[in-house]
Amino acid sequence: MTTSHSLRFDRVTVQYPQRATPALNGVSLSACCGEITAVVGPNGSGKSTLVRALLKRVPLSAGSMFIGDTNVADITPRDFAQLAAVVPQREEPVLPLRVEEFVGLGRHAHRAAFGAMRAADRRAVSDAIERAGVGDTAHRRTDELSGGEWQRVRIARALAQEASLLVLDEPTAFLDIAHEMAVFELLDALARDGRTVLLVSHQLNLVARFAAHMVLLNNGQVAAAGTVDDVMRGEILERVYDWPLVVTRDPAIGAPALLPLRGRAHGSKPTRGTKGKP
Amino acid sequence: MSFLHARLTAHPLRYLLVSAIALTLAAACSRDTGGAKGAGAVGVSTPASHATGGPVTPADTDDFGAPLPTDARFASRVVSLNPAATEVIFAIGAESKLVGRSRWDEFPAEAQKITPLGDGVRPNLEAVLGAKPTLVILYAAAENRAAADAFKNAGVRTITLRVDHIAQFMSLCTRLGIAMGAPERARQVADSVQRTLDAVRAATRGAKPVRVVWPLWQSPVLVVGRGSYLDELIEIAGGENVFHDMSAPSPPVSIEEIAKRDPDVVVASAKTATTLRASGPWRAVAAMRDNHIVLNDPAVTGRPSVVLGMAAVSLARALHPELAGSLP
Amino acid sequence: MRGAREVWLAAGVGAALLLLIAVAAIAIGAVRVPIADVLRALSGSGDTSVVAIVRDLRLPRVLLAGCVGAGLAMSGGALQGTLRNPLAEPYLLGVSGGAAVGAVLLLALGVSDPSLLTLGAFGGAAAATLLVTAIARVVGGSSDTRLLLMAGVVVGAFSNAAILVVLADSPPERIRGALWWMMGSAADATWPALARVAAAVAILGALLLWWARDLDVLVLGDEPAAALGVDVDRAARRVFLVASWLAAATVAAAGLIGFVGLVVPNLARALGARRHRPMMVVSGIYGAVLLIAADLIARTLRAPAELPLGAVTAIIGVPFFLMRLRKLAA
Repeated sequence: MTTSHSLRFDRVTVQYPQRATPALNGVSLSACCGEITAVVGPNGSGKSTLVRALLKRVPLSAGSMFIGDTNVADITPRDFAQLAAVVPQREEPVLPLRVEEFVGLGRHAHRAAFGAMRAADRRAVSDAIERAGVGDTAHRRTDELSGGEWQRVRIARALAQEASLLVLDEPTAFLDIAHEMAVFELLDALARDGRTVLLVSHQLNLVARFAAHMVLLNNGQVAAAGTVDDVMRGEILERVYDWPLVVTRDPAIGAPALLPLRGRAHGSKPTRGTKGKP
Repeated sequence: MSFLHARLTAHPLRYLLVSAIALTLAAACSRDTGGAKGAGAVGVSTPASHATGGPVTPADTDDFGAPLPTDARFASRVVSLNPAATEVIFAIGAESKLVGRSRWDEFPAEAQKITPLGDGVRPNLEAVLGAKPTLVILYAAAENRAAADAFKNAGVRTITLRVDHIAQFMSLCTRLGIAMGAPERARQVADSVQRTLDAVRAATRGAKPVRVVWPLWQSPVLVVGRGSYLDELIEIAGGENVFHDMSAPSPPVSIEEIAKRDPDVVVASAKTATTLRASGPWRAVAAMRDNHIVLNDPAVTGRPSVVLGMAAVSLARALHPELAGSLP
Repeated sequence: MRGAREVWLAAGVGAALLLLIAVAAIAIGAVRVPIADVLRALSGSGDTSVVAIVRDLRLPRVLLAGCVGAGLAMSGGALQGTLRNPLAEPYLLGVSGGAAVGAVLLLALGVSDPSLLTLGAFGGAAAATLLVTAIARVVGGSSDTRLLLMAGVVVGAFSNAAILVVLADSPPERIRGALWWMMGSAADATWPALARVAAAVAILGALLLWWARDLDVLVLGDEPAAALGVDVDRAARRVFLVASWLAAATVAAAGLIGFVGLVVPNLARALGARRHRPMMVVSGIYGAVLLIAADLIARTLRAPAELPLGAVTAIIGVPFFLMRLRKLAA
């Protein structure tokens, strides 16, 4: 990995037609090379819309997105897939493939309409499978994988794209601790290799241990941005998540750790939807 | 869904599979017992049953078995929803009593002047009753039973008739003659037709029968079968219908079957002949390859009515040109 | 690669089956042609009747059935990929309805020229698929598969109503002719009809094979596909249209024949042809085998009458669904 491209959102605004308020309102953030940048925030804050906008699945009402110096709006999906590897939130294996074939789909943007896999393609696929730690599943079918294996196989596919920018939307949803940690450690290693990694996650505590930069979204706007220490402050988080909490330091590494408290006294309701009992 | 789930796990799916295949194969393999259904009947308003060229209903009942109105006074305002009947009414000179017809009753040409009142099968009751008829002549199809009852309840007399075979035409003439008050004229018409038919039959008696296939429709291929008056005409005209063994009036057959039975000639209208000549698959039939097509005029052969005699003559001339001199 | 060997085996067996069933279908019929004479008859020598039967009747029919089967199977495979549903059929999407309206309308007007009917059917189906994509686009986004499916059902329902209206006023023979057409048949196999459907299968099938890699990616979902470099809206729409028109061409040639587009791609995948390009090739081969066999059954089971082709293929659908139910219940 030589030079990696940076990812920059410049005052991006996305307005869904049926909604009253914009899903993203003038959001600016950037992620750069060799580190993990995390985008966090409550449900509905616009985190996934950011990824959708990057994939051009929703149009921008204002603003632009840049990979390096290239405006995303100016390039074809094929070129985009060579610059950036995006792992969206959800995916179901409707038509099962062998893991090898599935990861091979990551080479789609590099291959012509016809023609067999070249040596370079095959190498990219085997390297990706190795890197993601799913070598022992290579000949199994995608509908036979466990949740953790499935997620890592999807990451392997993204790695096969050989892009220097990696964007992941909630890659550890539904995973247990062990699998979650495995994914985070993998992402950490990938970032250390020099890649730009943008990670959308709701797992504040894990993110705090691995991310160099953090962007906190709320209602489509950037509520706070900076290092993990800058963003993970009690008063900021309490305001954004609208729930009583406390930020301490975890005993292992000393990274900020979020502790949610019990709900407020009976009689006053938080303004966000809640299941808490007084 | 859970009910289905329980049944599926309780009973081996194998049995379902096997029985499903067995049932469908059994249905497909069931031989046509030669009944009147005819292969390929698909819920279209084809006649549910018809006589197989034999018994004719007695002259004092109609084809639904109801007693025939013998008093011609009831025939002051007549709606005829039966093409054969309409044509006979004109032939016996009783057309002044006609106040309505079905839209398919197009012969003779003068019939066009009579008001069309809709279909002959499942007629439009209101339209017909609106013409204030005293007598309605219906086509005797099972689908018309409801209409017959409806007219009866409205106080209108009905006669239901049909002609699938030549003998039934004679019977129709007789009964219509009685109902319309022109029994003599009716007898003359029937006798005239019968005489012509007899003459043709006599003329072709000695000749070697020409083997005939008569395609009535292309998609699917329908041919004349034993259940049709056309089969009788073929025989009278000195021909032999290669599909005489099929009891339906117009059974569907494959072109291959026609090729297999190897008729001497193909009887067709001019329009059909053009289509057949242009058709690749029909070249499998030797008669088509050798261009042994006998033209017929659908205006004459197309219906079992007063023109039956002429139909037999034209067919005989076509099949046996050598007998032209002895034909009427 | 292990996977590739599976595919070659499946394709090879399929090709062998295709040859066998084709020869059998040419040999078997109301007039028995001994297999030894088949080749001679094909080359034009021997009894003129047999030559005529083989060359003018059976050969075009077998070739037509093969083309139609291949076209239906490839169309089904492509649609299952673009709609992300292994139970998608060409007929869910307004194709059959539109084709039927086009043909039945002409039939009701008294048109019986097969080439005109073909044009009518194709035109009707093409119009219906354009209507489906237009509806889906207006309502949401033309690549949203649920919208496409629902729009297809709507157009199909409307077409059925239109057919009933058109037929209600027609004389019995026309109704019978229309119903016969709708039930599917290879009996009207003329060389011009064969040429038309073969051209459609070749051209449209080639397009689908060209875009097959896109399908491998499209089937993952809109976002993953966009992430992997596919212009999702464009790719989905063009595959949908071309696959539908391929199905329309088969409907124009042989009427409504169901289950082939549904069952055969699943069979191909079960045989190991998972990615769309090999899957569609294998599907094409087995689709041809299936339909030639079905046509053979259709014309021999109840000789001298012919069963509708659509009825025979429906019988195949029954065990398929039962097996899938079994998998679900397990």
